[in-house]
Amino acid sequence: MIELSHVSKHFGEDTAVDDISLHVAKGKFCALVGSSGCGKSTMLRMINRLIEHSSGDIVIDGQAIEHYDLVKLRRRIGYAIQSTGLFPHWTVARNIGLVPRLLKWSSADVKARVEELMCLLGLPMDEFAHKYPHQLSGGQAQRVGVARALAADPDILLMDEPFGALDPITREKLQDELAKLQAQLHKTVVFVTHDMDEALKLADHLVVMREGRVVQQGTPLALLQNPVDPFVESLLGGLERGLKQAALTRVKDHMSSLGQSLPAQSRIPGDFSLRQALSMMLRDHCDRLTVVDQQDMPIGELSLRKVVKEAQLDKVSHREA
Amino acid sequence: MKRDGDRENLLMTAGPRWLWPVGWALMLLVGVWAMPVLEPGFRWLEPDARQVIYSRADFVSLLARHVFVVGIAAVVTISVGVLAGIAVTRQWGRDFLPLIGQLASLGQTFPPVAVLALAVPVLGFGTLPIIVALMLYGLLPVVRNTLAGLHDVDASLKQAALAMGMTSWQVLTRVELPLATPVILAGIRTSVTINIATAALGATVGASNLGDPIIAGIVNGNMAYVLQGALLIAFLALTVDSLFNALQQQLQIRLSAP
Repeated sequence: MIELSHVSKHFGEDTAVDDISLHVAKGKFCALVGSSGCGKSTMLRMINRLIEHSSGDIVIDGQAIEHYDLVKLRRRIGYAIQSTGLFPHWTVARNIGLVPRLLKWSSADVKARVEELMCLLGLPMDEFAHKYPHQLSGGQAQRVGVARALAADPDILLMDEPFGALDPITREKLQDELAKLQAQLHKTVVFVTHDMDEALKLADHLVVMREGRVVQQGTPLALLQNPVDPFVESLLGGLERGLKQAALTRVKDHMSSLGQSLPAQSRIPGDFSLRQALSMMLRDHCDRLTVVDQQDMPIGELSLRKVVKEAQLDKVSHREA
Repeated sequence: MKRDGDRENLLMTAGPRWLWPVGWALMLLVGVWAMPVLEPGFRWLEPDARQVIYSRADFVSLLARHVFVVGIAAVVTISVGVLAGIAVTRQWGRDFLPLIGQLASLGQTFPPVAVLALAVPVLGFGTLPIIVALMLYGLLPVVRNTLAGLHDVDASLKQAALAMGMTSWQVLTRVELPLATPVILAGIRTSVTINIATAALGATVGASNLGDPIIAGIVNGNMAYVLQGALLIAFLALTVDSLFNALQQQLQIRLSAP
């Protein structure tokens, strides 16, 4: 658990981070979003004390960070960054095993852990263990970076635009993998990005920052439904906002039971998003889809009218709440 | 069978790099042991001289003393230079960075001959003044390259190392120094190679070494002596230089290949 209350950071006259309070519950994925220079990376680095905060309290698992031994604190927090920060003179295996070695694990344990992580991140041991970072593609290097951050099984993971330098296809693939990993491992993650789609896709809790301040925070859906000001709205995609919200909603949650009428021709799996459903309706020129389960058996029906109506209801109910 | 294959492999990878230093060292040894064999050649150069092969001291001991002087100076220069370079790139030593940089430059702009002239009255004749002169002269390349090598280590890499929970000592020894080694080694190479040549000046202050034949040749107008000293010094310098070259290539391969 990470708790920031009234944290500020001043560099001389400049204020990089201004009175920020934030609570990241255990096992939750928190994304800090904002344009460059808004203080989001500074925030992240204050958590593992790469930058010391000027005022306020940062508390990890009930203890203020300045009361931890600095080195021990950092070894229990995983850290992954954009340029991967892999050590070019070390092999992949050695890079991944770094923190366990610093923690003086036995070499057999380190080896077993490295093997486990490489397997987890889809890097075959035989092919990659003895490669050097410059022999890897951007996506592979980033996987190694994530594996290294996870090596000592830390509860907390700090990620500073880890996928920022990747091409869109690789980035999307790694985002999917990270989401899968997180569903499996339940780390407490603080993730910095300037890519709102990435944040919407991954985060449980979204924090929008501007000029060192938090403009708005909440669940992705809450922000999409109720952006507080035009800045947040434009970050969330302006007119595209409706579609982004649809992308976060599953077809299963909006379908109705199979009606009397003939089932529609087009089929969509229940795990797909409403956005994909809308796209399919546009493609197939229809306003009804048959929802199917994993065995391709019809389990319900989705109609355009219902989708539109419920989006409206969501908004109203959210306003009332 | 397998062992043969291994050996072949070893020779193939180690071969061309290490051939040069071995070759130059052989030339040096031949020069030292078999200079008299070349007497006809030197006689042709100096037909009128009474003697054409330098014989006041044997070349083996001259070489040994030359290597000794350069070696001592190198050990001191490298330790002082690298340590100073490390110290002023730490947070606590950063204030001294300009000072050390200037001191090292000053050491090299100050001609070794002048250092000798100043050192002799204080330290007396013999080996000590030339060692001091070589130390001062050789410091700059070592310091400069140590600074450059450490400076070139990617700042985000150092920060990542810290963020992983390395102590600053671990960051230095496991990340910064290994990555800076090729550049530092290049500085040491320059320093030692120049000093092999510069050490010949020691002959003027009574530190007998391979400079002796050169000085004696100049004094007596005997080009053959000069040539003998110069040849041996050149072979020594080339041996050491190619040795460093091979070492650097070895490092490069280790850094960039599996």
